Amino acid sequence: MTAVIKTHQLSRHYGRGDTLVKALDAVDMTIEPGEFTAIVGPSGSGKSTLLQLMGGLDVPTLGEVWLANKAISAMSGRELSDFRRDHIGFIFQAYNLIPVLTAAENCEYIMLLQGVPEAERKHRVQDMLAKVGLSGKENRRPGELSGGQQQRVAVARAMVSQPDLILADEPTANLDSHTGKDLLDMMHDLNRNDGMTFVFSTHDPMIMERANRLISLRDGRVEEDDRRVR
Amino acid sequence: MGLNWRLALRNLTRNTRRTLLTGMVISLSTAALVVTDAFILGFMDTTVRSATRMYSGDAQMHHRDFLDERDEAFIIANPDHHLDQLAAAAQVANATPRVLAFGMISSAADNRAVQVTGIDPEREAAVSKIREAMTAGDYLTEAGDDTQILLGERLADLLEVGLGDRLVVSVNNQDDGGVDQQLFRVSGLFHFNARMLDENMVFVLLPKLQSMMAIEGVHEIAWIMHSASLASERDLPLWQALSTEDVTAQGWTTLIPQLASMLELTGASMAVIGGILFILAGLSVTNGIFMSIYERTWEIGVLLAIGTRRRSIFRLILTETFLLAIGAIALGLLLGFGLTIWLAAVGIDYGNMEISGVSLAEVIRPVVDSRQYQLYPFWVLLLTLVAATYPALHAARIVPARALQKSL
Repeated sequence: MTAVIKTHQLSRHYGRGDTLVKALDAVDMTIEPGEFTAIVGPSGSGKSTLLQLMGGLDVPTLGEVWLANKAISAMSGRELSDFRRDHIGFIFQAYNLIPVLTAAENCEYIMLLQGVPEAERKHRVQDMLAKVGLSGKENRRPGELSGGQQQRVAVARAMVSQPDLILADEPTANLDSHTGKDLLDMMHDLNRNDGMTFVFSTHDPMIMERANRLISLRDGRVEEDDRRVR
Repeated sequence: MGLNWRLALRNLTRNTRRTLLTGMVISLSTAALVVTDAFILGFMDTTVRSATRMYSGDAQMHHRDFLDERDEAFIIANPDHHLDQLAAAAQVANATPRVLAFGMISSAADNRAVQVTGIDPEREAAVSKIREAMTAGDYLTEAGDDTQILLGERLADLLEVGLGDRLVVSVNNQDDGGVDQQLFRVSGLFHFNARMLDENMVFVLLPKLQSMMAIEGVHEIAWIMHSASLASERDLPLWQALSTEDVTAQGWTTLIPQLASMLELTGASMAVIGGILFILAGLSVTNGIFMSIYERTWEIGVLLAIGTRRRSIFRLILTETFLLAIGAIALGLLLGFGLTIWLAAVGIDYGNMEISGVSLAEVIRPVVDSRQYQLYPFWVLLLTLVAATYPALHAARIVPARALQKSL
């Protein structure tokens, strides 16, 4: 089976000399299709940095990331953009929706970039928003939605482009436990039913409970990689 | 409307105060360019008309040596032939012959050196504005007494004479080299609102002056063209066609080169003003767009993270600028048009200011020209887009990880 993501000696350093900080230090990791992985660790352990590098949002100081067996360093900026657009979905802690676009338009935008025909775009947006329980709220802008609803739109946006992998950074951190649980159940269902691969960076025990793999980071290094069978 | 256009349009409505301020800079710059250009056109038009249509004409014909030597002996010997030529020229509207004498005028109270001009009253009225400038008495008539003389109100004051008063005019007699003196009666007063004309010129009947000077020809034939702008062309074929071995025909740009140079300089100053406005507006636009980018750096980071190409971010910023500029330019043109129409209606009075020897006898009325509404909007739009290029490049180069630092 082809790994979705593979990292080799992945490192990200900031500063130099006495002020050198190794946010990530020689991390080797492979994410297989269908995994529901949680990257855990204390603040400053390198979780977010790892997610950024996995998604090609940042450039490693050392090492390499392979996305679908292709080294990021070998990709041009345009290829990397297209790769993210077609293969990776992002869910951010602060939702990060485009405030001037409606819920439907936020979801539609990425498909516009993919060149999906308009009729199909509309159909998939309707479908996906219904899936995340937001039917009837398609024309609301983020400011008119609650935090939980905004995060649902973010999940819908991440999934509507049918990516191979979803990178989610503490997606439940800003939600109450009830809303967070609903959202997680929804993502878990998508993982189990549709085989979508999820990688979380989190402190949330609810995510850890559902994850079939727990990767613990400390001081930028992998401390433990626990694969569970559920 | 496509999602990209909607996104761009809505981004503009996000911070309406900043959008309005940036738009206002573009609008006001556009309006300033339009009004300045309209004013300069009006200024040039008034100056040229003051220099040509008031008295001297769009073009003149003289003996080749007359203007250099100012010798009254250099005459156009066969004026009728040239007047016939001018009458046949399609570009020429009206022409008039003139005899010019440099003489003295004396009243009981004072005497002054003046230019005595002999005119054909009917032909002259079709070329210059002497008849319209009459403020008292009667314009010259061929049927009237040959002692008729017109002088400016200001000169009449200096000589302390009024209508009907006697004056003695002395001019050189070209036949015997002596001075011929004749008695005239003030038949009319004029006021051009130009000191050169009002204080230094008198008009008498052309045959009378020819008789006093003992000449048969004339010194000058002046004419106006159907299109005033034609006369400003230095290499108009008409000048060559009308010139002979003895006689030369010249447009006003050659006759009054200092005025032509001054007007060229005015055109150049418009370019400088335009350049300064462009730079100021451009810097303001750059600043406004930068502020807008800084305000939503994280959002641009999100767009990049989800797979938007850098080129698309660049295009998005330019699209926003384009939409802002189109709206602002349209408003600026309306504002500029309104201001131009208003200024043209009320006029701008420069008093009796002299520019390059020309008195601005009329108020300046800004002129609406199609160029102001075609060329300037295009340049403002182009400049605005150029000004947005730097911030757009900056936005396209945002590193998603840094932009998202607060959220990821």
